[in-house]
Parts: sequence; structure tokens; C-alpha cells
Amino acid sequence: MITLAVFAFFAALALVSAVLVVVQKNAMHSVLYLAFTVLATGGVFLSLQAEYLAAIQVLVYGGGIVVLYIFVIIIVNLQEIKAEKRKAFPKLFIFALPALLLVQIADVLFTNRPAPPAGPEAGLEFKTMAETLFTSYLAPFELASVLLLAVLIGAVIVARRRLVHDPD
Amino acid sequence: MIPINAVFGLGLLLFFIGLFGVLFRKNLVIMLMSLELLLNGVNILFAGLGHHLKSPRGSIFALFVILMAVSEAAVGFALVLSFFRSKKTYDVDEMNELKG
Amino acid sequence: MTAVFAWIPLFPLAGALLNGVLGIRLFSRRAVHAVGVGAAGLSFLASAVSFAGLLGAPGASVTRTLFTWIPASLVSVAGGRAVPVSFEMAFRYDSLAAVMTLVVTGVGLLIHVYSMGYMAHDRSYARFFAYLNLFTFAMLVLVLGANLAVMFVGWEGVGLCSYLLIGFWFTKDSAANAGKKAFITNRVGDFGFLLGIGLLLATLGTVDTAGITAAAQGGLLTPGLATAAALLLFLGATGKSAQIPLYTWLPDAMEGPTPVSALIHAATMVTAGVYMVARLHALFTLSGTALTVVAVVGVATAVYAATMGLVQNDIKRVLAYSTISQIGYMFVGLGVGAFSAGIFHLMTHAFFKSLLFLSAGSVIHALSGEQDMRRMGGLRSRLPRTYPVFVVGALAIAGVPALSGFFSKDEILAAAFASGRYGVWAAGLVGAALTAFYMFRLIFLTFFGPDRMDEEAKRHLHESPRVMTAPLQVLAVLAAVGGYVGLPRVLGGGAWFGRFLAPSVGEHEAGIAGGTELLLMALSAAIGIGGILAAHAVYVRKEGRPAARFVERFPAVYRLVSHLYYVDDVYNKVLVRGVMRLGSILGWIDEHVVDGLVNGAAALVRAISRLAIGFDGEVIDGAVNGIGSLSRLIATGLRGLQTGFVYNYALAIVLGLVIIIALVVTIL
Repeated sequence: MITLAVFAFFAALALVSAVLVVVQKNAMHSVLYLAFTVLATGGVFLSLQAEYLAAIQVLVYGGGIVVLYIFVIIIVNLQEIKAEKRKAFPKLFIFALPALLLVQIADVLFTNRPAPPAGPEAGLEFKTMAETLFTSYLAPFELASVLLLAVLIGAVIVARRRLVHDPD
Repeated sequence: MIPINAVFGLGLLLFFIGLFGVLFRKNLVIMLMSLELLLNGVNILFAGLGHHLKSPRGSIFALFVILMAVSEAAVGFALVLSFFRSKKTYDVDEMNELKG
Repeated sequence: MTAVFAWIPLFPLAGALLNGVLGIRLFSRRAVHAVGVGAAGLSFLASAVSFAGLLGAPGASVTRTLFTWIPASLVSVAGGRAVPVSFEMAFRYDSLAAVMTLVVTGVGLLIHVYSMGYMAHDRSYARFFAYLNLFTFAMLVLVLGANLAVMFVGWEGVGLCSYLLIGFWFTKDSAANAGKKAFITNRVGDFGFLLGIGLLLATLGTVDTAGITAAAQGGLLTPGLATAAALLLFLGATGKSAQIPLYTWLPDAMEGPTPVSALIHAATMVTAGVYMVARLHALFTLSGTALTVVAVVGVATAVYAATMGLVQNDIKRVLAYSTISQIGYMFVGLGVGAFSAGIFHLMTHAFFKSLLFLSAGSVIHALSGEQDMRRMGGLRSRLPRTYPVFVVGALAIAGVPALSGFFSKDEILAAAFASGRYGVWAAGLVGAALTAFYMFRLIFLTFFGPDRMDEEAKRHLHESPRVMTAPLQVLAVLAAVGGYVGLPRVLGGGAWFGRFLAPSVGEHEAGIAGGTELLLMALSAAIGIGGILAAHAVYVRKEGRPAARFVERFPAVYRLVSHLYYVDDVYNKVLVRGVMRLGSILGWIDEHVVDGLVNGAAALVRAISRLAIGFDGEVIDGAVNGIGSLSRLIATGLRGLQTGFVYNYALAIVLGLVIIIALVVTIL
């Protein structure tokens, strides 16, 4: 019961914040609302008994990505941009296609669902998750670390100032 | 137990809010933020399924998604910075030099 | 008695393969004739050993099956039965086979030795010996065959080797044609042979010679069937043994080297027909008609060929016609039921005819290739080793008493007389007279009188080497004394030959009184000697003038005979030209009708292709070009997708997602 209430609260928060993120004209405001959304999502995770995930979400997303966004906005001195008008046709199209996708996915999700297995709730424990991660999914895990390394290097290179000219 | 339909609904909504953000905003940074929304929505779906099927796999996938998000954010920002340096603008409509 | 006899044909086969496959490229002359003559020698040795074994067990008959050629299958035979018939590769050795193998390998060996000298300068030394060995192998298969199928294999084999050896110098047109003529004429006879075999198979369900003999003696054959089969088989014999009507190939076969003439066309292959009839004596005996046909054809051929031998100028051709004539005598012997007499003459003929041929070869060799008797003469003193043996051979064939030919020929004539066929007997006597005459005409023209030789030839005149004259001398001895194995009782002998052969070819007792037989003998002796004297008178004393006068007074007769009664021409015009005309008719049909269709089809195709070219030019090229334009169009259109607008890309991603999900949903 409590869980459900917690869930509902954080769900609502997340939704409202998300809408606000998209709607704001000011980038700084969007970032703020993004932070709210992230935190709310973390709360949802908690209520779904994915504690580890919640912790990671707050730490990485909230503490990492949101902070990153703030830094970027500061560095580049973001200005407001006026929304330009777009032609009707593309606008319609832009609306219709995602709507279609929505309907599709909803259809898939809300029909044909397997019943929850009547088993112990051990699967939700952190311990089980850790075990599974380091046995069945070890390879992706290691690859992911390689990926992060690559990203690190790539980002540094891309963001460099072109200070040095190539000697011909 | 939280009704799975609710979780699905939440995840879906978040996903589509993010999608609309990506498609309808011209500001590059806000587009990227909407992307994060997309990913959050998907994560909720994963976590919900994991919860529903009592499997740790949901969390694990969500973890990886976060990883991907981090990578993508980092690279994306690097690109944004370099783009800004050359174009002095964040208008996505100006980003058309790859026109074929 | 062991089955050594099965080895007899294998040595020459090995020799043929060795010389044929390796010898042509690799062997020296010495190696070639070591292999060739060695093989012949070993074969003779095997024959002698087998013969010795048979002496201890007279009347024995051993059969050795090598392998099953065609396994048994059911054949329905006359009378509605179905019997299993299989063809075995089997050899049988009995007294007839003993005589034949001894003759073939013995005379063959001597001829192989002779060839070492005669063919010494020939380029294709190895090929010659390979063919000679191959022929010996085939002939031995023929005489040792236990059934008509194996015999036919040998029959065809000797025919093939005859073709190969007649046309040995194939670069010469006349030689190549002679080879073809021999083979094709033989083929006509073989047709009859095959039909005969088929008839026997269909009636009796077996082609085994012993089986046929048993069936014939056991009354399983009606005279009608026996006659039919016998006549068909005899047709094959006339082809192989050069009797009327299939003899025309033999004189032309003289194109081959002389040892070939000696071996194949005197001693062995041409006697295959005689052997075959003797082997199937039981079958022939059943049919009086067949026997009469055999005897009549034989004596007619004997006289007919002798007349042609009279007017030949080529030394080898005289001998060729002589061979045809003598084989006729053998068939006379068979035809009157005296099968052993026919084989006896076969043996003595092998001796003296091969002697004559080889001696003629010696003369030709001495004269550097001259074969026309009109350009010989006076060689008596010049060729001291060849001359005497030649004379011995001539005396033997003329039937001079004490020599082998006398005994064998006389036995045949006596049997003819005894069987009541006086016409045959009388004709035989006439033939004997002619034989003596033409033979000694040859002798006198060649060795006596003034020399009419070409200057070049005279300068190189030399006696033949020992390797050639030695076999001649051996043969001369055989020709002289070989007849004593058949010495008739009336003269004090044991008629041993006839008795030896009796288990194989049946007994025959001349049903005439001893006194009559002696009288007959004296008569034929007189005829023979008379012929010699006549020839002497004409060609030595009168130097051929009476002959010339005869030609003047009866030019038509001379022309008829010297043109061989125009038989060759008739065959040529009727048969050969007929076939060729048929061929040209068919060719015309082919050209106009068939080719017309083909050309019409081609014209149609051409018209279509002209249409197609137009089609191709416009439509197809247009299509190809169109595809190019289409590609460009599409590309230009698709290029629009690369707007560079991020939005569009994002939308595209969404669109893709939609599609993929739809697909996944439908599939699942």
C-alpha cells in the first residue's frame, strides 16, 4: 500500500517534470526540471524494489549528466532561440508518426502478457542481481568499460580546441 | 505489488514526452535533454518488467542503458561544443551541412 | 595329362603385348625378335609337351575353362524349353587340337625366325613381330576353343590380324586397299557364321563343340536344321578359307610381306575354315546336302583357281591361287566324309606351301624386290640354297610320290572315288594335273632358261642369309617326309595319322579294295609327273613358245582367264558400285531433303534474328538505357532524403521503429 503511494507520487512528479523539460524556452530551466525528472525516476525505481538501480540513477544521472548539462550551458552561454514556424505538412507528419508508434507499443505492451511467476522474491534482491551481472552478463559488462574508455578519449578529442596546426 | 499496467503507462508516457521533445525543439541542448527523458522512460519499463517477472535482468538492462546514456551524453556534448565553436549557434536547422 | 595346353596361346599374347606396347618405342631389334621369336618358341614347346602328354592317352579330351565370359541366362530353344545358356572362355585339347597347335606353332616358329632376316631392314620391325605374335595368339584361340563363341573370337582375331598384316605397309595404297578387301570379304562370310551359331544356339541351347557333336550324334537335330546350320557355317568358311564365292581377297593379300603370306595365307588362317568343318564333323555328317555342297565347292574352286594360277606372272600370285586351289582339295576331303584326310592335307600343305612362299620370298629378297617371273630366269646356279628347297616344295605340291603332298592328296582322291562321287574325283585329277603344270612353270621360269633380269637387280644378286635359309631347309625336310605319318595301310604303313585323329573327327575307312587304291595312286602319280614333264617341255625345251602360240590362237580364252574370269570386276560393278550408288542416293536425300529442312530452319532463325535485332536495338537498349535513367531518377530523389536536417533523421528513426515493431508483432 505504501509502495503504491510512493510510486504514484514519484510517477506524477516525473511526468510533470518531463513535460516541463520539453516545454521550457530557457535551457537552464529545462535542466532544472530534468534534474527533478531524474530524481523522480529514481524514486520510481525504489518503489519497484530496484534499489541498486535507484542509487545508480541518482548518482550517475543526477550527479553526472545533469551537472554536465549545466556546465555545457554555462560554457557556451546559451541564448534563447525563437521558435520558428514550420510548414503544416511536416508538422502533421511529425505528430502522426510518433502517435502511431505510441499506439503500436501500447498495443504490444497491454496485451499478451505472461503472468508473473509464483516464485520467491529472491530475484529482486541486490545479491541476485550482482550474481547474474557477473556471471551471465560479464562480457557486456567488460565491453561497457571499454566503451566508456573509448568515449572518454573520443570526447576529449572532439572537444579539443584546434590550437595546433598540422605540420605539412 | 504495483500494477504493471501503471508502470507501463508511466514508462510509455515518459518515452513519448521525450520523443516529442526531440522532434519539436530546435535547441540542440534541449533536444539532448529530451533524449535523456527517452532513456529514463525505457529504464522505467525495464525496472517494471524486472519487478513483475521477479528477475534481476530488468535492473541489469537498465544499468546498461544508463551506461549508454552516459556515453552518448559525453560524446554529444563534445560535438555540441565543437559545433558551437564553428557556427556560433545552436539552431538545429542550421545544422544542414551534411546535405546530400 | 596336365592342362599345359592352356598356356599355348598365352606366350604369343604376351609377346604381342610386349612388342606392341613397349617394343615399338623402346626395344632394340634384338630385343624385339628375342621377344617375338621367343614367344613363338615357347608356344611351340608347350604344344609339343601337350602333344607328348596326349600320346600317352589317345582319345583323351581335356577342357579347361578360364573364366565365364557371359554368365548364364535363360534362352528359349526349339521345342519350347528354356535352357540356361552361358558363354565360357574355355579351351579344349584333343587330337585335332594337338595337330592344329603343332602345325600353327611349329610352322609359325619357323616363319618368325625367317622374318628376322626378311624384315631386318624394315622400319616397323617391332610392329611386325607384335602383329605376328598377335595373329598366332588369335589362331591358337581359334583352334583351342571349346565352343563356337571362343572360336569366333579367334576367327575375328585372325581376320583383324590379317587386315593389319596385309596392310602392313599401309602407306602404299594398294596394300591398304588389299587389307580392307580382305577384312570386308571375310565379314560377309562371318555373317553366315554368326547366323549358323545363332541357329545352333536357338535349336540346341549350346554352342559347345562337344555338346554339338553329342547332340548331332544323339539325333537331336533334324537333317533340315543341320543342313541349314552347316551351310551357314560353311559360308563363313568360304570367306576365311578363300573358296568360291569369297576368295577374291587372297590374291590381293599378296601385298603383305612374304612371311605374312606364308603364315596366314598358306598355313594357318586360310585353314581355319577347314578346321571348323572338321571340328563340327558330326553336324556336317548329318546332312548329306551340306557335305555335297562342301565337296563340290571345294573341287570347283580347286580347278578354277588352278586355271588362274596358270596365267599369273607374279610369283606370289601363282602361289596365292595355288593356295586357293589346295584348300579346295581339303574341302573335298571333308566333303566326302574323310575328315582326317582333309586335315592331313592341311598339315602337308602347311609344310610345302609355307616352304614355297618363304622360298619365293628368298628369291624376291635376292632380286631386291623383283616379283615378276618374266624378269627372272637362270637363278638355279645363283641361288644354291634357295633353289633346291624350292624344288622340294614344288615336287611335294605336285603330288610326286614319296613326298608328303602325294600321300595327302591321294588319300583325298581315293576317298572321293570311294564315296562314289566320280565327278569330283575326275575333276580332282584334272586339278592335280594343272597344279603340277603351273607349279613347274614357275620353277622353270624362275630358275631355268636365260636370265631376263634387270641389270640393277642382277648386280645386287645375293643368296639369302642363313637366318632365312635355315627355316627353309627345315620345312623342306618336313615337306618331304611329313607324309609318312599318314602312310596308308596298303603301302605297308599304319595309317597312323587317321587313327590318331579318329577320336576327334570320326573314323573313315576308304571302302575300296587295296588293289583299286593302288591303281588310283599310280594314276595320280602319273598325272603329277606328266604335268611336270609337260611344263618342262613348254618352258624349257620350247622356251615358252607353245604358250605364246596358245595365247595367239585363243586370245579370248587367255583374256578371260588372265582377267580372273572378270569375277573381281563383276563384284566391283555389282556389289561395290551398287552399294556406293545406294550411298550416293542416300547422300542426295541427305543433302536435299534433310539439309533442306535444316537450311529452312536456319533461314527461319535468321529472319527471327533480324526481328530480334530490331527488337534488341529499340526495346532492349531502350530498357537498358531506361534503367540507367531510372537509377539516376531514384538517386536524385533519394538524395532528397539526405537533407542534413537532424529532425528528418530523427523522424526516420521513428519511422523505422514503427515498421520494425509492426513486423515483429506480425511475425510473432
